[in-house]
Amino acid sequence: MHFALPPRKTSQPPPYLPRASRLPGLRRSRLKVIALAGLFFLTLIYLVSRPSRSRNAVPTPRVPKGNPPVVLVTVLDETKYSKAYLETVKENRMQYAEKHGYQTLLAKVGDYDLAGAPGSWTTVVAMRDALTKFPDCHYVWHLDASGFVMNPKLKIEEHIMKAAKLDELMKKDVPVVPPDSIIKTFSHLKGQDVDLVLTQDKEGLSAGSLIVRNGEWARFFLETWFGPLYRSYNFQKAEAHALEHIVQWHPTILSRMAIIDQRVINAYGKGGKEEEYKDGDLVIRFPECTAAGAQSCETQSQVFVQAWRRVFAST
Amino acid sequence: MSLSRSPSPVPGGGWASPGLNIASGRSSPTRAFPGSSGTPAMWESSRLKKGGGAGYPSFSTKNQSFFGRHMRRLSSSLPRFGSSPSYADKEKLGRGRWSVHNVPLLGRIRGIMGRMGRKVKIRLLMLLTLLLSIIIFYNSPMVYHWRRSTWLGGGKKIVIILGANVGGGVMDWKGAREWAIERDSVRNKKKYVARWGYELEIVDMSTKKRYAHEWRESWEKVDFVRTALRKYPKAEWFWWLDLNTFVMEPSYSLQDHIFNNLDKHIYRDINEYNPLNISHPFTETYLDAESQSPIGDGKAGSVNLILSQDCSGFNLGSFFVRRSAWTDRLLDLWWDPVAYEQKHMEWAHKEQDALEQLYISQPWVRKHTAFLPQRMINSFPSGACADNGNDTRIHYNEKDRDFLVNMAGCEWGRDCWGEMYNFRELSYYLNRNPWERFKEDLVAVIWFKITGQRVKL
Repeated sequence: MHFALPPRKTSQPPPYLPRASRLPGLRRSRLKVIALAGLFFLTLIYLVSRPSRSRNAVPTPRVPKGNPPVVLVTVLDETKYSKAYLETVKENRMQYAEKHGYQTLLAKVGDYDLAGAPGSWTTVVAMRDALTKFPDCHYVWHLDASGFVMNPKLKIEEHIMKAAKLDELMKKDVPVVPPDSIIKTFSHLKGQDVDLVLTQDKEGLSAGSLIVRNGEWARFFLETWFGPLYRSYNFQKAEAHALEHIVQWHPTILSRMAIIDQRVINAYGKGGKEEEYKDGDLVIRFPECTAAGAQSCETQSQVFVQAWRRVFAST
Repeated sequence: MSLSRSPSPVPGGGWASPGLNIASGRSSPTRAFPGSSGTPAMWESSRLKKGGGAGYPSFSTKNQSFFGRHMRRLSSSLPRFGSSPSYADKEKLGRGRWSVHNVPLLGRIRGIMGRMGRKVKIRLLMLLTLLLSIIIFYNSPMVYHWRRSTWLGGGKKIVIILGANVGGGVMDWKGAREWAIERDSVRNKKKYVARWGYELEIVDMSTKKRYAHEWRESWEKVDFVRTALRKYPKAEWFWWLDLNTFVMEPSYSLQDHIFNNLDKHIYRDINEYNPLNISHPFTETYLDAESQSPIGDGKAGSVNLILSQDCSGFNLGSFFVRRSAWTDRLLDLWWDPVAYEQKHMEWAHKEQDALEQLYISQPWVRKHTAFLPQRMINSFPSGACADNGNDTRIHYNEKDRDFLVNMAGCEWGRDCWGEMYNFRELSYYLNRNPWERFKEDLVAVIWFKITGQRVKL
């Protein structure tokens, strides 16, 4: 059978072609463009974040949460001080810590293996231990057993270690070891970059009261300071002179260190105008007190012990 | 009656038939003078030739054989020679037929292209462009700049520091061999750097007054690394190389060889290979878990110093440091007068011993130090560390295609230049291109078997 003519078109043609796909944008020609754009995009992503890059990325250092904010470190040397005196020191630290939610680490000489070095080196390793025991603390404050906290109102993290406050407090471009060391503290140091705060007395840097900010640098600094070759070197004043040595020879340490006025954290029982304790200062220390006799720490500190007990009780 | 073609006009009258100018003695028709006497003459001669004796017409209607009938079609489909299109135009015999040889290459391609679909054409074009761009890329400075750029190849992030001119300066004169060693070593590094786009810093290790004090000899290394850190602020890794080293495999990039899979290549637990018997890890209770762990935090990103150990401990002939605060501290602490005053009599290898001392005593150093198997970056020739014979951990093996050879200690009683020369030639030999391999491994060998003569091709 033949159909000579094509069949007729329907009299009512459908108004439009039916839609090929559900989404109006996804026509065949457009799909190609989209695929190309996607490919380009993926290439870009690949280039920006190549696998080797993310795998070898430097891990971000842990940020301590500030719990506790400050750890107080004191080494109780029973060969140097009487038991009763050390009890008052302990009490003083505990009360101050309790007032602000700090923690204490009261070490004894002999707690750590010093490999034959003088017992005063215990302070350095005790500070390192504080970083291990309280990895979330912000600051470690070492205060020698020859000193007392006198003003419980002052907080370390607010009244000393705040960046703005440090900017005011720190002494720039002064000789590290007075009076005439050619190594001077950095003149362009910012408060936020400071990781170590300490003071000078007449003889040099004082390690009796110093504050370290928790972090990688603190570990580096304390471990270096505790280095076996420094311990075996027979510095005249052991760890104090080792500190002066590393500060003067190694700019990576000097560049994180701030020297502040002595009375802020390290006022002395007696001395010159700049170093002598006045009421309201945070700390009083008796650096030259002896184990017994008229110059013993106990007798020297007697008046001040009563004073801090009074102040602590009233606040 | 069936003729395969219409008969020609009367012989002798004729038209200009280009195929028949046999006896005219010229290869091209004289088109400039269409009415000249040349054409009739041609016809005359052809007629004479054809007409041999009887003067029959050149075709026979009676010849009904297959060949006779189809000769024209067959012959015209055969390839023709010596006809150029310029004067085949008139008849266009090849028109519409597939003929291999008379269409020039360009025309043929055009024909193929004409028959291809648009889609195929575009795809082919894309393929061609891709191929072309790859060829251009690898044969132009583009590949160098690609490898060099920080975010593509990353070559700028790696600096090679080469300690050259050892012993030069005030102490002694360099002889011809020392110059040759230096020239070869520097050229080798330059080539390597040019291939992969790294930075090369050649430093002058000549004896200087600054370091003339017995305590400070050979401490320039630390200062040079520090200078390079300042000079290349974009670089991340710094690779120290002694002069007596030779990159045996310049086709290895440092990224492929080491850095892309850093965590797989390095070992951080020194107990894996511990010639110094260092007790590892630390067990002191005042240290945190990370310092007491044998592998630090275990992340490849925290590695800041990579070196290798030879038979007697750390070897600083070839080591890497990464730019970081840690590196600054290490370079700062590396030389310390108090340490050196106590130890300079024992420390024969100066900065090497000082680093060992730091590694042994300082937890912060250990956490960020990693080791590579020696043969990855620092193979020794058989003369070095030779007390216990050949050690697969230490000595170069050409079968494994070790990356770098360090002729450590060759100045103490060994022949530095001889070793350097041998390794240089070996490196060239191992890295011949396919053509050279074909010539030398196949042609020359076959030639030798046939004629018994060795040839150099």
